[in-house]
Amino acid sequence: MDSWYPRMAKPWDSWGMLACLCTVLWHLPAVPALNRTGDLGPGPSIQKTYDLTRYLEHQLRSLAGTYLNYLGPPFNEPDFNPPRLGAETLPRATVDLEVWRSLNDKLRLTQNYEAYSHLLCYLRGLNRQAATAELRRSLAHFCTSLQGLLGSIAGVMAALGYPLPQPLPGTEPTWTPGPAHSDFLQKMDDFWLLKELQTWLWRSAKDFNRLKKKMQPPAAAVTLHLGAHGF
Amino acid sequence: METRPKVWLKDFLPEDFRRGSHRFGLWIGTTSAPVRYTAQPSSVTRLPSGPAGWPGRPWPGQQQRCAGRRASAAEFSVSAFPSQASTTSPSHRRPPARKVRVARSRLPQDPVRLPRGTEGRRIPVGPRSAKSAKQDGKLQKTSPLCPPPRFSRNSRPSALAPQLIHSPGPGRLGTSAPPSTPAPAPAPAPHTPRRTRPGSRSPSPAAKAELMALFEVFQTTFFLTLLSLRTYQSEVLAERVPLTPVSLKVSTNSARQSLHLQWTVQNLPYHQELKMVFQIQISRIETSNVIWVGNYSTTVKWNQVLHWSWESELPLECATHFVRIKSVVDDARFPEPNFWSNWSSWEEVSVQDSLGQDILFVFPKDKLVEEGANVTICYISRNIQNNVSCYWEGKQIYGEQLDPHVSVFHLSSVPFIRKTGADMYCEVSQGNVSTSIKGIVLFVSKVLEEPKDFSCETRDFKTLHCTWDPGVDTALGWSKQPSQSYTLFESFSGEKKLCTHQNWCNWQITQDSQETYNFTLIAENYLRKRSVNILFNLTHQVYPMNPFSVNFENVNATNAIMTWKVYSVKNNFTYLCQIEVYCEGKMKQQYNVSIKMNGEYFLSDLEPFTEYMARVRCAGASHFWKWSQWSGQNFTTLEAAPSEAPDVWRNVNSEPGSHIVTLFWKPLSKLHANGKILFYNVVVENLDKPSKSELHSVPAPAKSTKLTLDRHSYEIWVTANNSVGASPASIIVISADPENQEVEEERIADTEGRFSLSWKPQPGDVVGYVVDWCDHPQYTLCDLQWKNVGPNATSTVISTDAFRPGVRYNFRIYGLSTKRIACLLEKKTGYSQELAPSDNPHMLVDKLTSHSFTLSWKYYSTESQPGFIQGYHVYLKSKARQCHPRFERAVLTDGSECCKYKIDNPEEKALIVDNLKPKSVYEIFVTPFTSAGEGPNATFTKVTTPDEHSSMLIYILLPMSFCVLLIMIGCYLKSQWIKETCYPDIPDPYKSSILSLIKFKEKPHLTIMNVSDCIPDAIEVVSKPEGTKIQFRKSLTETELTKPNYLYLLPTEKNHSGPVPFICFENLTYNQATSDSGSCGHVPVPMKPPPSQLGLMISPENVKKALGKNYMNSLGEISAGGTNLNYVSQLASPMSGDKDSLPTNPVEPSNCSEYKRQMAVPLCLASPPLTENSSLSSITLLNPGEHYR
Repeated sequence: MDSWYPRMAKPWDSWGMLACLCTVLWHLPAVPALNRTGDLGPGPSIQKTYDLTRYLEHQLRSLAGTYLNYLGPPFNEPDFNPPRLGAETLPRATVDLEVWRSLNDKLRLTQNYEAYSHLLCYLRGLNRQAATAELRRSLAHFCTSLQGLLGSIAGVMAALGYPLPQPLPGTEPTWTPGPAHSDFLQKMDDFWLLKELQTWLWRSAKDFNRLKKKMQPPAAAVTLHLGAHGF
Repeated sequence: METRPKVWLKDFLPEDFRRGSHRFGLWIGTTSAPVRYTAQPSSVTRLPSGPAGWPGRPWPGQQQRCAGRRASAAEFSVSAFPSQASTTSPSHRRPPARKVRVARSRLPQDPVRLPRGTEGRRIPVGPRSAKSAKQDGKLQKTSPLCPPPRFSRNSRPSALAPQLIHSPGPGRLGTSAPPSTPAPAPAPAPHTPRRTRPGSRSPSPAAKAELMALFEVFQTTFFLTLLSLRTYQSEVLAERVPLTPVSLKVSTNSARQSLHLQWTVQNLPYHQELKMVFQIQISRIETSNVIWVGNYSTTVKWNQVLHWSWESELPLECATHFVRIKSVVDDARFPEPNFWSNWSSWEEVSVQDSLGQDILFVFPKDKLVEEGANVTICYISRNIQNNVSCYWEGKQIYGEQLDPHVSVFHLSSVPFIRKTGADMYCEVSQGNVSTSIKGIVLFVSKVLEEPKDFSCETRDFKTLHCTWDPGVDTALGWSKQPSQSYTLFESFSGEKKLCTHQNWCNWQITQDSQETYNFTLIAENYLRKRSVNILFNLTHQVYPMNPFSVNFENVNATNAIMTWKVYSVKNNFTYLCQIEVYCEGKMKQQYNVSIKMNGEYFLSDLEPFTEYMARVRCAGASHFWKWSQWSGQNFTTLEAAPSEAPDVWRNVNSEPGSHIVTLFWKPLSKLHANGKILFYNVVVENLDKPSKSELHSVPAPAKSTKLTLDRHSYEIWVTANNSVGASPASIIVISADPENQEVEEERIADTEGRFSLSWKPQPGDVVGYVVDWCDHPQYTLCDLQWKNVGPNATSTVISTDAFRPGVRYNFRIYGLSTKRIACLLEKKTGYSQELAPSDNPHMLVDKLTSHSFTLSWKYYSTESQPGFIQGYHVYLKSKARQCHPRFERAVLTDGSECCKYKIDNPEEKALIVDNLKPKSVYEIFVTPFTSAGEGPNATFTKVTTPDEHSSMLIYILLPMSFCVLLIMIGCYLKSQWIKETCYPDIPDPYKSSILSLIKFKEKPHLTIMNVSDCIPDAIEVVSKPEGTKIQFRKSLTETELTKPNYLYLLPTEKNHSGPVPFICFENLTYNQATSDSGSCGHVPVPMKPPPSQLGLMISPENVKKALGKNYMNSLGEISAGGTNLNYVSQLASPMSGDKDSLPTNPVEPSNCSEYKRQMAVPLCLASPPLTENSSLSSITLLNPGEHYR
């Protein structure tokens, strides 16, 4: 390093040129912009998952508006906030802050995965009973997107080396509008399904953002290293 | 409820009655009514099947059935109630003497209803009538209870309820008959007792005892009839064994909100049927609160379990209900009086206890009703401390408290809101936090409409296609109710088909023999059923298949045969076919024809060489139902000879000795051409002298031809020819005389695209008039047009799209004589629309004086303008504020002011503008105007008037010039004289005779007399002022180098500034003149040799040398350079007198005296080239000159 620098003063010197070239080649792998060939780890897939989550949040906003209008009042009223009765089978997104903080990455991802698996199943049930074709189309589109999110989460988990949660046989959620289930409760379930979905997406965005930050390589340190090393 | 369709009892089959009150049969007809369902699944042939029987879990649509029954029940109850209320038997006051408060219905317009077969009594609804309540259309408050009805002892309620149907049990149902109805006495069974006493109180259950009781009844009746003793009667009746309903059990159906009663009758005779009437009372909340009382008539058999249902408008969960029953025999076999049994004990029905542990319930559970129905909803709150608020479609509603735990809401005339139902919910809140929420979804279905426009038709006698307009779709979301189904039922065959489409259905025709069909279309949903019926003959509903194989045969110029085929659907089926013939999109002919299978029609009156489209459609001939679709084909008729002569006109240009005739013709219309015109034949025949006719054939697209004819009369025949033949000829005659062009042209008014022409009728016989003009007069090929006008017309209107504004059109009106000779009558000219002139005249300013000038624009053509020039406007701008006389003030478009003069005569193309100021600038502009306005704006021309005096100068200068000219002419003419007078020729010494003498001598230079040889006679100095001497001398010294060394004896004009001394040589020759004038100036005097030369000459050697060298050479040039002659004065002889003279070679004085002539010396000789020596010598010579002073 120090050997070639003084020679720069005499560029016509062929040995100096050669030394310069060699040094540049030697340092090329250290430039982060060029170092894109290797495995980057789960970072990009987490970012993609995060982006998908935000997209789904946006998509759900319009879908929920349409579907709740389809249900009619009071479900489409903005201040309608009923106690959560029924809909017990829906995975709850709301947890205590301390509990959430205490979760590790694996648990976080597992909970997300399980929740969306359940929610997707319920959502498909919702799709089956929607009366209008347009609503069915919107729901089907959203289901596809949610399926994508599920796959994306599975990808992140695989990248991090976590096993996918295996559903226990017999506990798979099914859409069974039982005879005792009144229509009002059914509507309430739909309402809560959309609400939980919204909360889950919000929570997932937070989860993935946290994970993303955690998994992000310290790019600033690399830059500093290069600065000290080369120039 | 009053608006609902009525149910007519007569429509029921007897079987329906037998099968019980729940089993109303459906009937099909145009009478629309709510669907009547039975509760029995066995009646599948007449009803939509239900998976579950009664009682049990409701199957889909059960609720609708409730609604259906409700309608009819309400109707029954209205007629049943009054009579019951008016007849209350005293004996029936016995059931524990209670002051029954009859409950006022909480749903005034939806009162408690009786099931069918039950004579129900509607409890009065309190202060609000049903009608008024309905008009409110809102939630109704629960009304207070009504007083109970009172039954008279002799009441016979069933007699007043002829519609009642009962449902005692499966398979054993019968019509109810009022007790008073006379009925044939049944044949007594051998093993049954003949008489019973319905009023008997004997509790014996044995059959024998029952028979005995019946016998007693009959016996007593008979006895009482004989004795007519009422007191006794009462006692006897009291002793009878009563037929009391026992084992009353009440069950509920929450979904249907119905109570189901079952009981048996005690003391009934064995194997005997007995008509009985049961009175049922229902109370709510407490036994005293009777909300409904009704009678139920039925035939009761021994050991039979009786069933009866009642539907509550209030969900059963909302309140406890109580039921009790009593009975009376109502059989013709047992004459009156009959007695009511005792009331059974109250059966309490309470569903609330079976509810769960929730703190809040809302009932009913989700409900399906029809639009406009009334719905009662209640909530049950376990804890009265809770704050419960309820909402209907998002808005809070307030109910009526039934008890501390229960509140009731009445929704009346619920509308259809959405397919997913309308929500009503209640929530328990503590503070602002909602702790529990319960709600129901009320599904409101639209009312099923009757199918409209129901019709069936067949195309092939194999399938009937039935269509209808389904009306609104009554489907609801959440699978609550699918779209209404449609079923097709044919009554003759008894077949039925469920249609898969909402608006059409196909029915296969299986039996060829069946001609008449009676179809019923049944539309059905969970709540209602509607049907329409059509009866028709199959052959009347034929919508034929489209005709095919449409062809044309034997097509010629005017007719063709059209053939087509139709599908054979049935033997001897006749079709009525309609044929339409179209030409260029317009229908020309229409025919109707009856055919069996193959159609044929002769189409006539067709135009030759025309493309036609003929189409055909068919319908059943015997009974019109519907036309088939059209089937068509195009065909073209053949050509025929043109039917009309072409319209021909001519233009004749007369030339010396000949006529140039241009024939024009118009192409024949398609109607008259009858084909494609190939050529035009023009036959020219001389009328004046018999000769052979000339034939000119012009190929078709041409519309004109030019003929050159001599000055004879000619008859011209023009025919149009197509491939078939020639048209009639159009004849025109060209007169031998040239056309009279001396007709005055008349202007016609501006008519905006139309020209109205009128002319004076031509004297004599005319066969018509022709008006011709050019569509494009501005072009060489002006496109001559003409119009033929009848002989009686004297006016016509020419209007074409070719007329353009601003173009002058010239019209010529000809009269056609009987000999077909055209005679020009009038000429008209005009503009379809006059425009303002397009250009301004070129203006000339003339006769400009200081006070006036003349403007003229005589070359401006008024004819070629886009309008008739009416005159000119002359605009004058000047610095003067005031306009000149005749001018008026005007404002130009640019806002500047000027003076304007108007010339009204278009031919007046000059204007004298006077009263101008001298030496002033005037701006002037001339523009023509038409009726449409002035010409374009242009720049003004500036005219400056001259000064006043300059003209004066002209007056002076001109004569002077003239005088000078005259003088000059005079001088020229008299030049010889003047010459002789003013400057006579100087004698040439070389031409003198003396030269001949000299020639003999050897020395020619001796011929010139040397000056030095001469002695001047005299030198006289006229004046010698001092200054002159100096100047003279000085000038010599100054000019000695640049000027020839002449001694100017005469002053030049330039330096003539005063009295100049001049020297005159006294020459005798000029002596006289010099002395006369005193000055030499005015006489053209040749320049004299300067003294220097003179001086040079003085020297004899010099002279010799000069002469010897130059003179002889110059001799020949003397004549040529005559103008450059310098005349040297030759002194005759040197005269004595001057001491300073330098006499050399003195000559004889006598010699000198002889030569007093001047000698012309050539200039070249006289002015030898200047040399230094010469100049020096001249200077030296000057000095002696001073001696002359």
